Amino acid sequence: MNQFHLQQEHSKELQLFEHIAEFALKKNNTIHLNSFPTEVTECLRIYYIMDGKFNWIINQQHHILYPGDAALILPGQNFGAENNVLDIGTLSWLHIYVDKPAPAGRMISGKWSSLTKSENLTIEKILLLNNAPVLLKLKEAGLILQDLHTELVNQEIGYATRVNHLLDQLFILITRQLTRQNNSGRDFPQTFMKLEQRLRKNLAHQWTVEEMAALVGLGTTAFNEKVKNYSGFSPLNYLINIRISEAIKFLKKQDMNITDIALDTGFYSSQHFSTTFKKLTGYTPSEFRKINSPKK
Amino acid sequence: MNCIITIELGTNAVRVCAFDLQANVIGYVKGSYPTFHAEPDYSEQDPEQIFITMLYVLKNFLTEKIYPKKYKVDCICFSASMHSVLAIDKNGVPLGNAITWSDNRGKKEAEKLKSSSLGKKIYTATGTPIHPMSPLIKITWLKNNDKEKFKKTYKFLSIKSYIIQQLTGEYFIDYSLASATGLLNIHTKNWEADALQYAGITADKLPDLAPVFHSPGKLRKEYQTSLGLSAGLKIIIGSSDGCLATLGGAVWGEGKATITIEDSGAVRVVGKKVIQDEKQRFFNYLLAENYYVSGGPTNNGGLIFEWFAKQFGDFKSLFDIDYSIENLINDASKVTAGSNGLLFLPYLLGERAPIWNANAKGAYFGLNINHERQHFIRATIEGILYQIYSIGKTLEEHRTINSLSANGTFASIPFCTQMIADIFNKPVNIRKNSDSIGLGAFLLSAIEMGIYKNIDEAARTVVLPDTYKPEKQNHNIYIKYFKIFERLSTKLFEDFEEISNLQRMENG
Repeated sequence: MNQFHLQQEHSKELQLFEHIAEFALKKNNTIHLNSFPTEVTECLRIYYIMDGKFNWIINQQHHILYPGDAALILPGQNFGAENNVLDIGTLSWLHIYVDKPAPAGRMISGKWSSLTKSENLTIEKILLLNNAPVLLKLKEAGLILQDLHTELVNQEIGYATRVNHLLDQLFILITRQLTRQNNSGRDFPQTFMKLEQRLRKNLAHQWTVEEMAALVGLGTTAFNEKVKNYSGFSPLNYLINIRISEAIKFLKKQDMNITDIALDTGFYSSQHFSTTFKKLTGYTPSEFRKINSPKK
Repeated sequence: MNCIITIELGTNAVRVCAFDLQANVIGYVKGSYPTFHAEPDYSEQDPEQIFITMLYVLKNFLTEKIYPKKYKVDCICFSASMHSVLAIDKNGVPLGNAITWSDNRGKKEAEKLKSSSLGKKIYTATGTPIHPMSPLIKITWLKNNDKEKFKKTYKFLSIKSYIIQQLTGEYFIDYSLASATGLLNIHTKNWEADALQYAGITADKLPDLAPVFHSPGKLRKEYQTSLGLSAGLKIIIGSSDGCLATLGGAVWGEGKATITIEDSGAVRVVGKKVIQDEKQRFFNYLLAENYYVSGGPTNNGGLIFEWFAKQFGDFKSLFDIDYSIENLINDASKVTAGSNGLLFLPYLLGERAPIWNANAKGAYFGLNINHERQHFIRATIEGILYQIYSIGKTLEEHRTINSLSANGTFASIPFCTQMIADIFNKPVNIRKNSDSIGLGAFLLSAIEMGIYKNIDEAARTVVLPDTYKPEKQNHNIYIKYFKIFERLSTKLFEDFEEISNLQRMENG
């Protein structure tokens, strides 16, 4: 492939695609000072290595990328090369504008995308939770970028739709790879433990089974079955378990009001909390608090 | 129709089982809870999550499996893992998580006490080996390292004591669990003054002692209502998992021992006498009515083979470890006993009985150019079972063992059960799909309800046929390699220590 550099407002190829900030392929044959300084942008940046070896700092972490590897840089993360120098080699990159700066969410759910709302939320969640920005051996990403370039340059019939589909496809590919890469696929107890830690860290969030399954790198059917087998509970019931257990600790501490406890532990309302709590324990939260209050 | 429910508060999960009054299993269900490792040596569990998980599982079980079959629950009997410590304040509120048996933070405290003459005296009185697992050491650690929590503590409970207090309002510990704390004199059945003093506590910091048949009180009304249980329901405090697995394990009487291998493992015998071991290698726990369960525990059971499967097994689909293990066992059976001279020391998690060396490590030994993948697989299994044999063999210095009964997920894999028979050169019996702990808890309840006259009669109802006969030829091969295994396990003492120090430095 030849080099190219498309930029929003400069390249007519991007006229129909306001969300694409930049799309390029570069063959770097010489080393220039300050050719790749650390920068923070509000774009979501995807880099794909075709040739060479690149020493990069992504979000304060040092990474080495080889051909076939991809990197994903979230809006607001800093990214640049070691010594600010772009290494010799060939690489392609794509910068996408996001609706709002992360981490407020809704990163890629621009009008251009045909992903459903819930798919979008799940993908965003996984990208935001992800702490390993380098995707190893993702050759398919290279192929999608190639197709994307062909569509943009040739502008054949239906290309506007195809371009946006390819972007969706790229995000799906990256998300799936991320969930798989973070899990060995061999140690379910350990994977489940990691998931539990994530749930506890953000208990107030309304977790869906799709989100949980994606974090583990499984489809929802397999995920349901594995969790049930391992824990004895469906994923959502296991989550209720954690919620009530945490709520009990707050109730016993005596210094937080019940509505706050309900919302902090992920119930929709104090009513929802009360009903669930009573069904399981026979006590309403305030009765339970009372029997555990300091003895006079 | 009437039934008895047993609740086991296990290491990773609560298991609820229902029996009819003829000891038939009506139903079974489990619910897991996590173990947290805030630091490498720490193992903790959330007492509230254990409580809620138990309640949730029990409620669903009753409404889905028991009530539709028109059963009425007469009695609920508890069992639990040994050695847990949960500190609570004067309002009964937990001061953080419970510390579980596998927690090793008290290593230094244990080493110091074990090598002293006081340590020897305490071991002789309490029957619990001086080890970080023991609540004696855990409380001592809190005294030395978490003074604020130690000072605030109203009582040091076991997880089971806490669960029972939540249900009934009363603080109790049964003699079985108490005998595994390192704080109870197993001869006089009172808290041991020397041990209490060493831990820096008085007896009122511990729950009240009660026999395993004791009923600590009525189930709180709200739980009666939410669970649909009657006011006449009897709660029985029960015993420990180890003691009940022995009671339900068909090893009553002379010449028998039970082998349990789950993640970890143990070899146990039961008798009216305590085993006094000079080298402090065995535990002696009180079952009931002057019966003692004696034996030795290992850290390295089925968990080690799972480790092997995760690293070297084939995975057909994500997380399908059962498939992987099945294939490994199949491959292991393609080579002959002794793995052509490849030996495996399974001490990946350090070891307890009989070498009691926290620094012990794993090793493959005797490797030559002709060894293949299958030899590694078989050697790994053989190493895990040689270790079990080394406990059994040491026990035989004190007791005669003529036959064995095996239970637990790893020991009941047919290939492993046969290998146990061959290595020990003794017949092994096994119950299919067995839950010896639940059955033991059922027997306790049935005695209390008058179905059996006493523990002797109840235990003798559990009889199993010998299903695995030893093959002499294999035994002769195993026994030759075992000699080297045994020597290596102690010979490498200094090297184990040195490499442990290096590994510790490496891991910061």
